[in-house]
Amino acid sequence: MASTEHQNGDAVSHPKKKLKPCNFITEAEIQSEFSHHDTAVARLNNGAFGCCPASVIAVQRDWQLKNLRQPDHFYFNDLKSGLLHSRTIIKDLVNAHHVDEISLVDNASTATAIVLQQAAWAFNEGTFQKGDVVLMLHYAYGAVKKAIEAYVARAGGSVVEVPLPFPVTSNDEIVREFRKAVEKGKSRGNRIRLAVIDHVTSMPSVVIPLKELVTICREEGVEQVFVDAAHAIGCTRVDMQEIGADFYTSNLHKWFFCPPSVAFLYARASPKSRDLHHPVVSHEYGNGLAVESSWTGNRDYSAQLVVPAVMEFVKMFEGGIEGIRKKNHEVVVEMGEMLVEAWGTHLGSPPHMSASMVMVGLPPCLGIFSDSDALKLRTRLRDKFGVEVPIYFAGGEDGSVTAYARISRQVYNKLEDYIKFKNAIDELVRDGFTCALLSD
Amino acid sequence: MSSTTHNHIHENNHHNGSHVAKKPNLSTSVITASEIKSEFAHHDASVARINNGSFGCCPASIRAAQHRWQLQYLRQPDHFYFNELKTGILQSRTLIKDLVNADHVDEISIVDNATTAAAIVLQHTAWNFREGRFQKGDVVLMLHYAYGAVKKSMEAYVTRAGGNVVEVPLPFPVNSNDEIVSEFRKALERGNSNGKRVRLAVIDHVTSMPCVVIPVKELIQICREEGVDQVFVDAAHSIGCTDVDMKEIGADFYTSNLHKWFFCPPSIAFLYTRRNLKGSVSGSDLHHPVVSHEYGNGLAVESAWIGTRDYSAQLVVPAAVEFVNRFEGGIEGIKKRNHEAVMEMGEMLAKAWGTHLGSPADMCASMVMVGLPPCLGIGSDSDALKLRTHLRDAFAVEVPLYYRPPREGEVGVVTGYARISHQVYNKVDDYYKFRDAVNQLVQNGFTCADLSD
Repeated sequence: MASTEHQNGDAVSHPKKKLKPCNFITEAEIQSEFSHHDTAVARLNNGAFGCCPASVIAVQRDWQLKNLRQPDHFYFNDLKSGLLHSRTIIKDLVNAHHVDEISLVDNASTATAIVLQQAAWAFNEGTFQKGDVVLMLHYAYGAVKKAIEAYVARAGGSVVEVPLPFPVTSNDEIVREFRKAVEKGKSRGNRIRLAVIDHVTSMPSVVIPLKELVTICREEGVEQVFVDAAHAIGCTRVDMQEIGADFYTSNLHKWFFCPPSVAFLYARASPKSRDLHHPVVSHEYGNGLAVESSWTGNRDYSAQLVVPAVMEFVKMFEGGIEGIRKKNHEVVVEMGEMLVEAWGTHLGSPPHMSASMVMVGLPPCLGIFSDSDALKLRTRLRDKFGVEVPIYFAGGEDGSVTAYARISRQVYNKLEDYIKFKNAIDELVRDGFTCALLSD
Repeated sequence: MSSTTHNHIHENNHHNGSHVAKKPNLSTSVITASEIKSEFAHHDASVARINNGSFGCCPASIRAAQHRWQLQYLRQPDHFYFNELKTGILQSRTLIKDLVNADHVDEISIVDNATTAAAIVLQHTAWNFREGRFQKGDVVLMLHYAYGAVKKSMEAYVTRAGGNVVEVPLPFPVNSNDEIVSEFRKALERGNSNGKRVRLAVIDHVTSMPCVVIPVKELIQICREEGVDQVFVDAAHSIGCTDVDMKEIGADFYTSNLHKWFFCPPSIAFLYTRRNLKGSVSGSDLHHPVVSHEYGNGLAVESAWIGTRDYSAQLVVPAAVEFVNRFEGGIEGIKKRNHEAVMEMGEMLAKAWGTHLGSPADMCASMVMVGLPPCLGIGSDSDALKLRTHLRDAFAVEVPLYYRPPREGEVGVVTGYARISHQVYNKVDDYYKFRDAVNQLVQNGFTCADLSD
């Protein structure tokens, strides 16, 4: 495993060169860690809900029991230090400067609400002018688009979407569209107050050239940059200094083996970050977002407390989390290429714009002509073939590839999972199946 | 102290239509004392746990149900999301609707806790101010003993958006509902003066510290008479602790935690929102602050999906209902026995220490404020917290303490009260342990000044 790429200071995930190979987790141990997964299912959708190994679940149970045993003692003596420990590990992982910059929240959706509520107040209190612009990508996650409607549009902000090509063949295509959207945003003399940029889009899934887009934002006077990196940690490189965003969020339950649910929200220390508040207000209100987020009323915080146990888990792999990432990437691209060759289709983006997921074109003869078709086919694959994979309807003409499957690869996946998917599609094609045949 | 020794079944008090819980289980199916003990075997046996009010409790059988839901999700989360989650949440909501006598399941949303519910209601209030439905300076009323988090939420949403927060001072100790009602009327008059309107009244059903049952039905009637637009009841404690009947109480918004007195694991609460709100304007619906693709589909649907999370605590309400029905009289029986036991224990302690209770029995539910001997020298909030820690660390007694500042002219009065709780797992020994700990401190001439910072 190449150690030269470790420029991001995530010292915690240095490959353990001192260990002999036999100290690394074995294939049998991996299967055992995920033996609670439904073995009848080819689980190719780690991107949606992630996974959690048995040893981490066990640690989570311990935390839960500790709380139930004597919750007052837990609250006064264990909770705060446990959360701080998790935050400190994350700070190192993502190369943030100070642990104050790292807050733990439920998920990226919560982080989005925090950042956008701050923008709504700014509009309502006159810090931002009505009509000032918030930029987002066309492929922004559905929940984020709704949040922008709920907070920004409602408060008088103007939303500009960056159209993105798909399939996409190079970063330049994305950069070009982004520059045009920034110009459009500035054209009416309004300031661009906030750019919401995905690190890895969800559907269709593409790795965005984030560093370049953030640089453009700085050059063009965009006031705040918020990166929705729901997938990023454990899936692609995550370095706060390198990326340079104001706010950055990623889920740890997707690609970082935490149980549902835990995410971090990074807020670069600045006057802007002081205005962030958790929407669920407790007695900690005003003590900084990290402290506010560490107590949002009586709840189960156990998922936020197992980060140390997850670090132990990933260290059992050669190369730690970096090793896992690289292997996932290599394998998912290999599997994607195997599938497109078998089906005579193509990938939705080149390998360097993919991480642990890749968009695989489905045979046009399947007749996928709407979002509804895509969902029904997905259900069919689950119910009849035991294959779990999300499908994206991309549009296009009859006869061309109109839909893509987003396949994931995580440490528990086997070659058989992808073969099972291949065979399922081959069978549908042989049987002359089209989506028109599926009932509503 | 167990359910089998206190068989007072008051069937004639069941006004509240909680017919789901009214199964009088006979003989063989009633839970035994040793089964109760086994259900709570995970509690730290060395601790006299008399603070159910803060963090509640969860029996082993409900924990097991929760684990089953968690494993089902982890096994195949996509299948769970598409095929099981929505129906599970709806089932929980339906049971709650019946428990609290709401008209329609749409009125019941499930959220994490009362703190979240307060944020939902107050964020809605903030939008009302910002979008001009409420005028700057219009009033939001709250009780002086409102929960700390709710007060901060008022600051974060109401004051910040231009509203004027008016507090209702409340006496403590308190002797009758009339004392509370008269303060409330006075505060309403203040709020309605200077051409301003009282837009929202936030009223506790059972205050936290000090703990008193508030005459909410009366206060809400007064609100209606005086033209208050909306009433939000913060009833964090109430379900499983006091009577909870939406139609009888008549609030617009009402929230209660199920993990306090209804045996659910952390954490789950319901937020009731009455349909056909008086004075509401279209477009001013409540929203969950964490926005998902369900935005705009109504609060209950929005709250049922706020991104990937562990929803298992919200799915075990059927198991909780099954659990309470193993007790004689169901949840009604549990409530009554808890009330009787906590009053008995409170009076025992007050007598042992020569003090008094903070409120009469009809203003208590499953908790009561017991005066501590003045010689302990509790002179501040900090003293109260330090003494609480001392009781935990040196005596293994878990009980929250409240500092009640002396009024002008008061000398040698009780300045500290302990809020004791009673839940089905408690035993009389728990309260003796507390009594003896305090007696020992008194004997040793202890004062809070002895405790380091």
